[in-house]
Amino acid sequence: MISLKYLDYQDSQSGQDRIGVHAPSIMVMAPVAGVWSVSGTFTSDVVSGASPAFHTEQLTKMKDHRKAVDLSVTRYFPRGSLTLGASHSQESDYISRGLSAQGTISTEDKNTTFNLGVGTSDDTITPSYGGVHEKKNVTDVMVGVTQVLTKQDIAQLNYGFSHGRGYFSDPYKLADERPRERNHRTILARWNHHFAFTDGTSHLSYRYYWDTWDIRAHTISGEYVQPLPYGWTLTPGVRFYTQTAARFYLPVDPANPSWPTFPSVNATEFSEDQRLSAFGAVTVGLKVAKQLSPDWLLDVKFEKYKQRSDWAWSGTGDPGLAPFDARTFQFGITRYF
Amino acid sequence: MSFTLTLVRTIVVVAGYMSLTGCANVKPWEKGTLARPEMTFEGDALDVRFTEHVYSSKEAASGGAGVGGGGCGCN
Repeated sequence: MISLKYLDYQDSQSGQDRIGVHAPSIMVMAPVAGVWSVSGTFTSDVVSGASPAFHTEQLTKMKDHRKAVDLSVTRYFPRGSLTLGASHSQESDYISRGLSAQGTISTEDKNTTFNLGVGTSDDTITPSYGGVHEKKNVTDVMVGVTQVLTKQDIAQLNYGFSHGRGYFSDPYKLADERPRERNHRTILARWNHHFAFTDGTSHLSYRYYWDTWDIRAHTISGEYVQPLPYGWTLTPGVRFYTQTAARFYLPVDPANPSWPTFPSVNATEFSEDQRLSAFGAVTVGLKVAKQLSPDWLLDVKFEKYKQRSDWAWSGTGDPGLAPFDARTFQFGITRYF
Repeated sequence: MSFTLTLVRTIVVVAGYMSLTGCANVKPWEKGTLARPEMTFEGDALDVRFTEHVYSSKEAASGGAGVGGGGCGCN
């Protein structure tokens, strides 16, 4: 199988454009000798636009080009599989290298599948203004179970733990000193259901995230895959997200909204990054796919994303931040062999 | 880590219970629907990758579905 995809992403605040991304990507997957499969992905991200230096203020021009490669090999067994993967991602100021191993094992009736995964990444951060050479190491562990419930229902429950050490600050933001350790945990529950009377399939998922920076986040998403005549498939989707603020997030000072907020004299951890504030977000999207022949598949997807401080479900959002919006467009073509 | 162990134990016990009690006594010949691509959790790999990358660069939370994949300077 060869799959090509092109991503076009643009975000904005109060109608003013911020970051744009153009990213072509290619994936090749091939079975080998019946029990093996190899897969490779290459992505080229061209990122340009402007990013705030603090809060949603002082938009500063930036441009970068990221190239990422992922390779994986899977060995299939009668009741399980083992996958080994390696990844490499490079930007002018950031290099990330990762290794991962994942295994699955099923019960004899194959109605229950356990999975275990371990991954590690080593990142090097060298900002373009020089003088900084930092490292970050993250280790992830995940365990989960996938269970067939009925002829039309399948569910999955995953628990993930991530331990990170090193440089987590954003080198291009003013007043940004984050802890050198970040551990997070996730619980993810997913449920797919097939409706016999429409031949459609619903995908529902819920994720709870919590970390040692006191951020807690809920993500609920749902989509519905509807096959139609002549090889068409429509997939509308919706996603709701909310997070609390990091304990060291410094909100906009209402008295001086266009100036950075000064950290208190003895504070050692602080950040004015919008992404560490409390907010809520909503995404709506639609994917349209067309099976041209048994070998060829075309798809397009459009999504709209809105992030607002006053949509936070718990905790108080920062009313001084500008509203944030994004839209993505994806175009894909796949050839099966 | 005691919480982690408790949770792992809960997952194993719940899954074991479900498979033993025949909550899922679905036979191999009844799995035609379950074998369809839209019934799996993998989805369109490149779509999933793009989407997770966009969210992890705009939101504080990430992960949950798998391990591996490269980091980037965007978060």
